[in-house]
Amino acid sequence: MGRWEYFLKRVLLMVPIVFLGTTVTFLILRVGPIDPAAAIIGPSGDTEAYAAIRDSLGLDQPLWIQYAEFMRDLLTLQLGESWVVVRGQSVWELVGVYGPRTLWLGFWSILIPIFVGLPLGFYAGLNPNTLADYIASFGGIVWRAMPNFWLAVIFVSVLTQSDALFGFSWGDWLVETQIVTPPDLSGLWEPTQFLGALKAILPAALVLGSASMGNEMRIGRTAVLETKNANYVEMAKAKGVPGRLVVWKHMFRNALIPLVPVITGEAFLLLGGSVLVETVFAINGLGYLFFQATINGDVPLVGSLMFLFILLSVGINILQDFLYTVIDPRVGYDGGA
Amino acid sequence: MSRHARDDNVPLNADATSSRDLALEVENLRTVFHTEHEQIHAVDGISFNIRRGETVGLVGESGSGKSVTARSILGLIESPGEIDPASAIRFEGDNITEYTESEYESIRGDGIAMVFQDPLSTLNPVYTVGNQIKEALSLHQDLRGTAATERAIELLEEVGIPDAARRVTEYPHQFSGGMRQRAVIAMALACAPEVLICDEPTTALDVTIQAQIIDLLMDIQAERDLSILFITHDMGVIAEVADRVNVMYAGEIVESAPVEPLFAEPKHPYTRGLLRSIPSTQTSGDRLETIKGEVPTPNEPASSCRFAPRCPKSFEECSEVAPIPTAVGDDPDHDAACLLYPESMTTDEAVAHHRPADDGGEQ
Ligand code: SF4
Repeated sequence: MGRWEYFLKRVLLMVPIVFLGTTVTFLILRVGPIDPAAAIIGPSGDTEAYAAIRDSLGLDQPLWIQYAEFMRDLLTLQLGESWVVVRGQSVWELVGVYGPRTLWLGFWSILIPIFVGLPLGFYAGLNPNTLADYIASFGGIVWRAMPNFWLAVIFVSVLTQSDALFGFSWGDWLVETQIVTPPDLSGLWEPTQFLGALKAILPAALVLGSASMGNEMRIGRTAVLETKNANYVEMAKAKGVPGRLVVWKHMFRNALIPLVPVITGEAFLLLGGSVLVETVFAINGLGYLFFQATINGDVPLVGSLMFLFILLSVGINILQDFLYTVIDPRVGYDGGA
Repeated sequence: MSRHARDDNVPLNADATSSRDLALEVENLRTVFHTEHEQIHAVDGISFNIRRGETVGLVGESGSGKSVTARSILGLIESPGEIDPASAIRFEGDNITEYTESEYESIRGDGIAMVFQDPLSTLNPVYTVGNQIKEALSLHQDLRGTAATERAIELLEEVGIPDAARRVTEYPHQFSGGMRQRAVIAMALACAPEVLICDEPTTALDVTIQAQIIDLLMDIQAERDLSILFITHDMGVIAEVADRVNVMYAGEIVESAPVEPLFAEPKHPYTRGLLRSIPSTQTSGDRLETIKGEVPTPNEPASSCRFAPRCPKSFEECSEVAPIPTAVGDDPDHDAACLLYPESMTTDEAVAHHRPADDGGEQ
């Protein structure tokens, strides 16, 4: 079986997974403790209005009809309307407002660790047991050990008072930005707008990516140490391949293989972790929206967001398989030789 | 730095061969690994040479220092390992132990190439076989693009890989064990080296494949007048391939001789033990003998015979005097480092011969 056939198979496998995930979501929402009609009406509502709402929402229909409609709507991407949080607003519009902020935050909190954690880890692995290695490894452990919520609060309080503390105002530096506010994502193609949006998200992205950065560094270091002693590295040297090329060509690509699941795995964690960080930095992204929808019992909003999260996870999974397929030619090879 | 400064340490194969016929000459090579608690004398003052077009065997159990010898020759010893500056490895008139890393890179693969034990882990799994052969071609012969691909296909054909034009684009995991080792050999041959070091090249392979790979190596040697250093623990393989043999034990060469006298009249008790442990030399019905125990780790300079704890012939002085290579037998090239020799002397005389006397010898 070729590599790309294998990849295609993996992609097709995602279809039943989306189906299953959505079904579980339905069960949790409809069979679970949330009563959407009660949530809409609030604590003061009278029984007649309550019954009317139940009726209009179709909540008294047989469960399997509800299930069929739920699945039909989601799979055809009709995400419906919010009932409680912003009553009457279409979910798509809400996602259009809240989504980009989360994506922007997620993008940078994945990218920064890759471009900081990986090089540091690779460097430490290439120079093991040197002072630089100790500093990087120790720093990585400390950095990773700091809890997100704590780090977030520290960042916010230090940055808002940076003027008084260091005589340097973070808010006015380069471009003027607020510290605790949703980033302005309009006109990103203009350099100053881009810089402003990046700067506004940077502290939150650093906090959210802190654990990933530590992980990637640690595992990157181990991976490089392992490939360093691999026989093919010795063979490459015995062929006369110069040291630098041995590192870049023969070591790094192999060292990346164990890092693929680490990086994509962290992308999953970011989905969950962003609620907390979004709250502290007041970013008002999808995490915040989801949280609001859940505590308010906004059933269609929760269901639709869950569905989007499922799609996102599946997307990350596919990305992971794609990276594997590109980096490692042994993917999908079922022995034999 | 040269042999003259260390006359006390007579190279084992010191003979009349002029150095122009020598493809490689190793003199008093010492490779030490510094660990926290001790120093491991992995290779402890060995000397041997390889003539042009000749196969020299280096044989011994694992832990005897064979592989460290191979890596020392290629300059692949890394910290905490270190080659003693008094060692010399002569290749094309230079003492290559004094080479810088970049000078070394220019002879690796080009002048001296190596075939390793396990062909699967020797090939980089994420690049095609062709890519890895072409890498060597571009480094040393400046061949690139289609010319390099064509040359790579030729090389694969030369080592007996069928359908080479297709296989050149395949990955190592798509090759069988024997084919992988052929590919590794093709890679080693890519830049027409003068010396080929084979470190247990057949150990990881099936018996039938082993024979094929050995035949291939011998054919290539005849065609290209290649000098081969063949490292193995397998006396049976040595009998087949080698012209001359060095038997290594705990960092030292304990016996060296052309292949016939070595097998006909092994002198060193260790060599005799090794020979008794190969099936083919046994008269039927005898139980296969093995040498009991393991190779000791040489963690201090030799002050005794390192084989003494396992030697069936050891006597008192064996744990007090380190034997030096001594001519034994009829062949002038036949040396052994054992207190039992020279045979013409009484034991006491022989021990006195080996004892580091007043000539300022080491230790
Ligand atoms: S020197 Fe003694 S112990 Fe060593 S091989 Fe000879 S007889 Fe055996």
